[in-house]
Amino acid sequence: MAIDMNVFRGFAEQIKMLPQMAQPTDCPDNERLKRAKAVFAAKLDSSKATYLESCVHCGLCAEACQFYIQTEDPKFTPIHKLDLLKRFYRREKAPLRFFHRLTEPEITEADLEATQELVYESCTECGRCGLVCPMGIDIAAMVHITREGLAQAGLIPAGLRAVEQEQGSRGTVFGVGPDQIRQAVDDLRAKGHEVPINKEKADILVLSSTIDVLLFKDALEATVKVMNHLGVDWTIHSCAFEGANFGLLSGYEEVQKSASERITSQAIALGAKLVIVPECGHAYPAMRWYGANEHGAPLPFEVMALSEFLGREVISGRLHLKPLGPDRHVTYHDPCKVGRHGGVFDEPRAVLKALGVDLREMPSNKVTNFCCGGGAGLFVMEGAAPMRDAAFDLKRQQVEATGAESVVTACGSCRVNLMAGAQRTQWGTQIESLVELVGANLKQ
Amino acid sequence: MSFTEFVDGPFWYFSAAVFVIGVVWRLVGMLTMGSKPDYSLPRASGTAGAIGINIKRFFPRTDFWSRIKLQVIAGYLFHVGLFALLFFAAPHIDFYRERLLGFGWPAMPEWAFILVSELAFLGLLLLILHRMMNPVTRAISNRGDYIGSALIFLVMLTGCLALARAYEPLRVLHFFLAELLLLYFPFSALMHTFTFPFSRGFMGAHYGRRGVRV
Repeated sequence: MAIDMNVFRGFAEQIKMLPQMAQPTDCPDNERLKRAKAVFAAKLDSSKATYLESCVHCGLCAEACQFYIQTEDPKFTPIHKLDLLKRFYRREKAPLRFFHRLTEPEITEADLEATQELVYESCTECGRCGLVCPMGIDIAAMVHITREGLAQAGLIPAGLRAVEQEQGSRGTVFGVGPDQIRQAVDDLRAKGHEVPINKEKADILVLSSTIDVLLFKDALEATVKVMNHLGVDWTIHSCAFEGANFGLLSGYEEVQKSASERITSQAIALGAKLVIVPECGHAYPAMRWYGANEHGAPLPFEVMALSEFLGREVISGRLHLKPLGPDRHVTYHDPCKVGRHGGVFDEPRAVLKALGVDLREMPSNKVTNFCCGGGAGLFVMEGAAPMRDAAFDLKRQQVEATGAESVVTACGSCRVNLMAGAQRTQWGTQIESLVELVGANLKQ
Repeated sequence: MSFTEFVDGPFWYFSAAVFVIGVVWRLVGMLTMGSKPDYSLPRASGTAGAIGINIKRFFPRTDFWSRIKLQVIAGYLFHVGLFALLFFAAPHIDFYRERLLGFGWPAMPEWAFILVSELAFLGLLLLILHRMMNPVTRAISNRGDYIGSALIFLVMLTGCLALARAYEPLRVLHFFLAELLLLYFPFSALMHTFTFPFSRGFMGAHYGRRGVRV
């Protein structure tokens, strides 16, 4: 698939500039602790309390974490990242809080700042640690709560904060808004594609993302080709196309809610039965799992990841693909937020099967798949670069163990991180998009 | 009142009361914090996920095995051994019949007791050594982890010696240490004995409704 590497390099350079674009936070210094505590108090419910009550400090979670495996630095032990939250819990919410207050020191602003690196720059909330915990502690969920507390305290790392602020204030991401998506649609129309935009009624609302508008244009084009090929009633909407949700990534719930509500209200206005989330890992849970909760009621439409939709169409026999042949050796990288956090494993594999390729699974695959290293916003945090590189090196080993000549995935962030790693290490393995493979091999 | 009378009488009742009230207080406290409704459309059953994880989590995934086998094997030796000693050692069954339940059940033979004790000791010692020597567990362990381990070790040691020697002061010492353990239990991570089915259940339900078998 043709990706303009100059655009890719420009995108990477833009990411490096993000910290300079971040605005100062609106949180006064003397408010930080209070705001973080208010979030922790509100978010710690029965399940989280049970998790925090159950840890026996066995350290097994470290053995599942890509960052610990690669660095062997105990500070990256997943459960250690929850020390701040656990101290708050023990003093303020635990059933034995009156007893714990005798021994547990109060959390401080310095503790908040010290935790920033642990929950933002060295955790992708991939959730692999939760698979090995004998107690069944969902550490990723509590890392996210810690992020939410730090976000309210104005402690989102500058790069991530810049994009969150942009999406929160202007509704755009990397400058991509209604005008840019219209331009992208015009470009596709100029190539001969019929692209419905801003229809008043449609069965399916198709989302896109900044990364597809700027960089992976072929993914957007392939999506258009598939939808037209299927002959369904669909539309893109210029005011509700952005699947990426930097409120969710940063832990800033107000922005998370405004971003998902923009889509929800538009889908309701369209009378949509289905919202399709693009190849963007976190965009899937943002709508599929959290969209209804931010809305405060069940959604009157289904939400599917693009890879899930393609798989279901293939399985149902509505989507026929030209086989690429068994001499095409590929492996599939499950984006954590779509796979381990979303349950979409079989559908992309059904697509690859329909494409007739020789699918070779990585040693750790599906639910135990290793993260690409760029998830949960790490791909826009400059401070996370060493962690991203470490995770990529592990991922590369996993891919190479299969002997596949290409790694297929269904997430733009994963692609960016894999491409950045490939560029850094002169890695020759192809990195491909599932929808692009489908778009290029539709059977007429 | 002699030390034996104190240990067999008021201190037993006190430690047992603290244990029961403490455990119930902590369990009820954490389980009654409530949770917000989840309006997302489930892909599969959360209940099935909660039940499934409670069974499956006893068997570690093969993906992790090479990195965690020492702790898993040591953990099983210790926990299975301790369970067998606690519920199938003849003196314990006598104690449950006479002091708690009014009925008993068959005990394991002495050779099994010796074998199980040795395996449990081996497991516990490996876990303690691992906690002290592994950089991760050394970094994340706190004083409470070592106190709990030490108390269990001493209770097991005095218990075995008491049975082997049939010597009353050792029996009293064993009982006294067990009472200290009961007192310490609700304030410590030993509570995982009762919390693990719930934490597994919450996680299993969360992922289960997403169609992910964790």
